[in-house]
Amino acid sequence: MKNDEILRVENLKKLFPAERKLFRKVKLFVHAVDGVSYSIKKGESLALVGESGCGKTTTGKILVGLYEPSGGRVIMEGEDVTPYLFGHEKKAKDYVRKMYLEKFKNMSESEIKNLNGVDRKYAERFFDEYKKSEDRFINSFIEDRKDRIINLRREVQMIFQDPYESLNPRMTIFDIIAEPLNIHNVGSLKEREEMVAEMLSNVGLTPPETFMFRFPHELSGGQRQRVAIARALILKPKFVVADEPTSMLDVSIRTGIMKLMLKLAEELDMSYLYITHDLAVARYMANRIVVMYLGKIVEEGDIEEVLKHPLHPYTKALLAAVPVPDPEYKRGEPDIKGSVAKPINPPPRCRFYDRCPIATEFCKNNDHPPLKEVGPNHGVACYVVTGETK
Amino acid sequence: MKVLSVKDLKMYYRTKMGYVKAVDGISFDLEEGESLGIVGESGCGKTSVSMTILRLLPDNAEFMGGHVFFNDGNGEVDLVTLPESEMRKYRWKGISMIFQAAMNSLNPVYKVGDQIVEALLNHYSNMSIDKAREKVAQLFRLVGLDPRRMDQYPHQYSGGMKQRAIIAMALACDPRIIIADEPTTALDVIVQDRILKEMKKIQKRLNMAMIYISHDIAVIAEVSDKIAVMYAGKFVEYADSVTIFKKPAHPYTYGLMHAFPSVAGEKTELTTIPGEPPDLLNPPKGCRFAPRCPRATKECLEKEPPYEEIEPGHFIACFNPLKPGEVVTFDEK
Repeated sequence: MKNDEILRVENLKKLFPAERKLFRKVKLFVHAVDGVSYSIKKGESLALVGESGCGKTTTGKILVGLYEPSGGRVIMEGEDVTPYLFGHEKKAKDYVRKMYLEKFKNMSESEIKNLNGVDRKYAERFFDEYKKSEDRFINSFIEDRKDRIINLRREVQMIFQDPYESLNPRMTIFDIIAEPLNIHNVGSLKEREEMVAEMLSNVGLTPPETFMFRFPHELSGGQRQRVAIARALILKPKFVVADEPTSMLDVSIRTGIMKLMLKLAEELDMSYLYITHDLAVARYMANRIVVMYLGKIVEEGDIEEVLKHPLHPYTKALLAAVPVPDPEYKRGEPDIKGSVAKPINPPPRCRFYDRCPIATEFCKNNDHPPLKEVGPNHGVACYVVTGETK
Repeated sequence: MKVLSVKDLKMYYRTKMGYVKAVDGISFDLEEGESLGIVGESGCGKTSVSMTILRLLPDNAEFMGGHVFFNDGNGEVDLVTLPESEMRKYRWKGISMIFQAAMNSLNPVYKVGDQIVEALLNHYSNMSIDKAREKVAQLFRLVGLDPRRMDQYPHQYSGGMKQRAIIAMALACDPRIIIADEPTTALDVIVQDRILKEMKKIQKRLNMAMIYISHDIAVIAEVSDKIAVMYAGKFVEYADSVTIFKKPAHPYTYGLMHAFPSVAGEKTELTTIPGEPPDLLNPPKGCRFAPRCPRATKECLEKEPPYEEIEPGHFIACFNPLKPGEVVTFDEK
């Protein structure tokens, strides 16, 4: 049901200018994220998988407010939070005007009845309370914007890839972990100390007193990543974006961190958006998977199902290319041509067309295929697989 | 024929705090056409082993003993005794190397082809430039690059192509041995897969020996005939790859193998090895793995286990080796 959806991303877009022009409008854009939609249910973790440059990190950064979205919307627990992802109030206002106001103004009563989800909720608010004043409707989003931004940041946290760069070398471990508490004004100094100590033992840095007043350079990579995890989780967020948190760590340390993250997710009842290029790690960390290619989702679904029965030629190739720790295991041949291109003003057709082993004339002449449900909990974006080319 | 025979190699780094025992008594043989994978965590000394063999060491490195016998078909030479001028003849022609982060080891202001031509002219003083260019074109074709790309600059190459160019460069002087130090670590899986296959193919075709260094046991499983597991400056286990995977005898090997998730087969629980690798400034007195080992006894903590052959071709340094099929439970916290 909609209610237990913790996060919903609809048609998210992010364009980066690919050229710099003085006095002229930029025409070339890198389409880093180009119409990505997915949702995460409570207690579920989603793995975002793809090669470098496919837009997986950009997607994550938009959710924590490090990038502004160029299009689409983000809904958290039935509330549209997109206006709080923009840096300027004006952009947020424009967004609300475009997304809701203009749509609702031209709608009849019966059309409103057919809406569902957040649209319905906001439409009702619009017709019941604010119809007379557009500004008041917009202000219902913009009011207390600063507070809402802070609230949102409290509920969505991020763990970064490199623990050697994500911790301030001049701050003690206590200061690093307590910083979110300071910013959000949680507890007194005494209480903060207790919370940090508890968090430290939760992430396995025991006894906490010995770690609290040390500096990051005194810790190993694994310990640093534990500190980064503690910092992200100290505010008990509902949702954590984890951007390859184990890829810089050593093998024997890595499993420890992965297990710790799974344990904490269960204890604190939160979800991960786990960004990784490693399908094996994704399988261990998440229940669902979204495979991205050049800013688009090509396949999504239950992770075991997708790994057992991959349908999209790209997922198949990706899976066949993963080395298996068994010298006698014979894996398939990845069937893929060429290499990843840069998505600068790409043609509207399927993004995978140039590398696809099964592409047809139909794929060339049509837009990028939409994600289509092919089974319970399994969707794929490919005309050939879903049989539309015939 | 043995192309390389390393005997009790030792190399320490001098620091203000004392010696870091990075390579501490390594021995192995390498047959012609064979590939050896050295697997271990970062800081275990696997890169230092290759640097010691090639004698490409920084100023604070001190060679502490051992022998590196290299046989190029004209009899054995102990590389450690050679003067630097002689050693230069063996580098690249005898043993060449693909360095870690090879993508950044191309010079950005020279054309890729010219950089390889330069390497060739350095080693073959009577080779003409045309001949050298012809050879480079051949090498490009061998590694799957378009020879027309010779006159392009590194920034015009993608990551995978740079890696191929680096492999071409390593092959330039027809070496007997190639040492590849994490050549695919920075690459995406699909590119990694292609490079690994290419390297395996070339190695078999030219009947070269290869030493493949990686922290990724899955990659090592794909490319190696023999596998050496390294821990804290020492080999703890050495055997052919199937033996290592099917019946590991050292608890560390077992832990390392079960620490990797896999996309194939059933989803399994992963093992965590508690603690962290030791500080090589003051390694533990007995077995270096003992403080993290659930099977450690008093003997392990006090005496260093000898590196012995427990069955033909299977070496191990452990007082309490695992029997085939035995399970180790690590005390996880």
